[in-house]
Amino acid sequence: MSTVLEQIEQQIARLQAGTVKKNVGTIRAIADGVALCDGLSEAKYNEMIEFPGGVMGIALNLAEDDVGCVVLGDVSKLKQGDEVKTTGRLLSVPVGKALLGRVVDTLGNPVDGKGPIDAKEYYPVERIAPGIIVRKSVSQPLFTGIMAIDSMIPIGRGQRELIIGDRGTGKTTIAVDTIINQAKINRVGLASGDKNFRPVYSIYVAVGQKNSNIVRTIGALEAAGALEFTIIVAAPAADNPANQYLAPYSGAAMGEWFMENGMDALIIYDDLSKHAVAYRQISLVLKRPSGREAYPGDVFYLHSRLLERAARLEGKGSLTALPIIETLAGDVSAYIPTNVISITDGQIFLETDLFNQGVRPAVSVGLSVSRVGSAAQIKATKQVGGKLKGELAQFRELAAFAQFGSDLDAKTKAQLDRGSRIVELFKQPAGNPIPIEQQAATLWAMQKGYYDALPLGKVNAAAVSLREFFVTRKDALLTAIRTKAALDADIESQLKTACDEWKSTFNA
Amino acid sequence: MSSARKSAELARQLFALTLDQGRLAPERVAAVLQWVEKHRPDNASAVLRALKRLVEAEVARSQAVIEYAGEVSPAVFAEVTATLSRHYGRPLESVPVARPELIAGLRVRVGCDIYENTVVSQLAALKPVS
Repeated sequence: MSTVLEQIEQQIARLQAGTVKKNVGTIRAIADGVALCDGLSEAKYNEMIEFPGGVMGIALNLAEDDVGCVVLGDVSKLKQGDEVKTTGRLLSVPVGKALLGRVVDTLGNPVDGKGPIDAKEYYPVERIAPGIIVRKSVSQPLFTGIMAIDSMIPIGRGQRELIIGDRGTGKTTIAVDTIINQAKINRVGLASGDKNFRPVYSIYVAVGQKNSNIVRTIGALEAAGALEFTIIVAAPAADNPANQYLAPYSGAAMGEWFMENGMDALIIYDDLSKHAVAYRQISLVLKRPSGREAYPGDVFYLHSRLLERAARLEGKGSLTALPIIETLAGDVSAYIPTNVISITDGQIFLETDLFNQGVRPAVSVGLSVSRVGSAAQIKATKQVGGKLKGELAQFRELAAFAQFGSDLDAKTKAQLDRGSRIVELFKQPAGNPIPIEQQAATLWAMQKGYYDALPLGKVNAAAVSLREFFVTRKDALLTAIRTKAALDADIESQLKTACDEWKSTFNA
Repeated sequence: MSSARKSAELARQLFALTLDQGRLAPERVAAVLQWVEKHRPDNASAVLRALKRLVEAEVARSQAVIEYAGEVSPAVFAEVTATLSRHYGRPLESVPVARPELIAGLRVRVGCDIYENTVVSQLAALKPVS
């Protein structure tokens, strides 16, 4: 009964509310999802503007005579002369763990048909990136589960690592595999009961993609059991450019909640090329001056303010960003790629030629780099993979040189042979991330020459067999590598015994 | 500069000429219209439309349009107008308009700002609850 009385009292209080002040305007023109409004004298930059029928927009152009608003909803019912009003609110999205396992649109509304989201908190979409004082250097690893990346281009929590390459080179696959690997690690870590274990929650932001691709990604995550640790923000190609422009910022706000609350999160922006195109469209419709390739002057700031929000904070959590950029004909020196390369802490460059040769993931070792990740790499990986990048680079150089002549000395032949084996070893099917302890064991066996006697075509099968052997027969050793994160004399002797045992059973 | 921007710029300049000590002066508006008629600037209709918008906004800023329902004494209109004049720091002209559909209360509009305390607005506020 008291609840009923409280409800009535609340309604009375609402009725007794004093005079309400509104700042209003009228739509003067509306086209291409952008409304030019007269009035709105108190509109602030990025403020939400309410249109008739509950449609919301954002004030993006504050001119002397009018306000340019990007409409976020259905523009078909809006017309010239309609009244609009300011809300005094910045665009905010729901944040928190209630969003995990859900697919939402740019505004945080569920689009997966699983019912409403019970979010307790809202974060503004646009936030100032953390400053210098509160930041902490990157020193904790974030394993992608992709051997070529974890051993040669390591990523740390709080890092921004760009994934760049032509269409169809496996950029999204790397991102999805990384999310799947986080889910696998989370499951093992949470089951272990380790109080110091910090799970990584993932946010996948799909910008300007086909709906079918988004569905495929969701399916892959669901099949791998990774969706429960993941939030998907979808702004597909059919969505209006305003939603595509804002989606990465919405995702960043959701990621920041984890970071601010002492947790770790990973965010994938797939992809920022289409994001820049959406922003260009909005800017041109708003009649902002255009510059190179018709992008507006602030296209660098568009991405820098987004990626700067990824950080590792002192006494709090971290937000790791993996932006994706699609290049045309491998041109990394185009406008948007160079912008994002200069903002991020490194890039994973995927080559079409390698992909077509069957080297998948098609990571180009020469052009890929991680500027801060080595500080986060665990000792075990450093011990077994420290020289791999140099060896592979040498191999590529020699391989190119060896094409012109057949008389090679023994040392060169050995280097070429070893390089080919490393390339074979790094081939990894999609959706199959490898735990770091298994990677360490695989690379240790490589280092000690366990695959040297095998035919080149059997190296990858041997590595798979070795990992299976370790998982089924040497689980305690794998756990020891995982917990110690280094290969001491004791572990190395156990690894030797185990590899000898495997070699005696492996039939090439 | 595009012709639309040129027209808007000229309209702003003409609008500045229509003000006398910060207030719209009808005789100055008439003079400006005469000048446009005589000199016929490029895209004159666009200039005049832009000027009309500016003048409309200025008129709205100098008026307190008081929409009301039921019996409201002239003293209330005068008090509301005087209070808002003090608030905006400029003399406002009171324009009372009877609006029975508000049921009860007042809605005052000055330029882009609306001050509302009507039964209709409060009922609208209750809508999402029900």
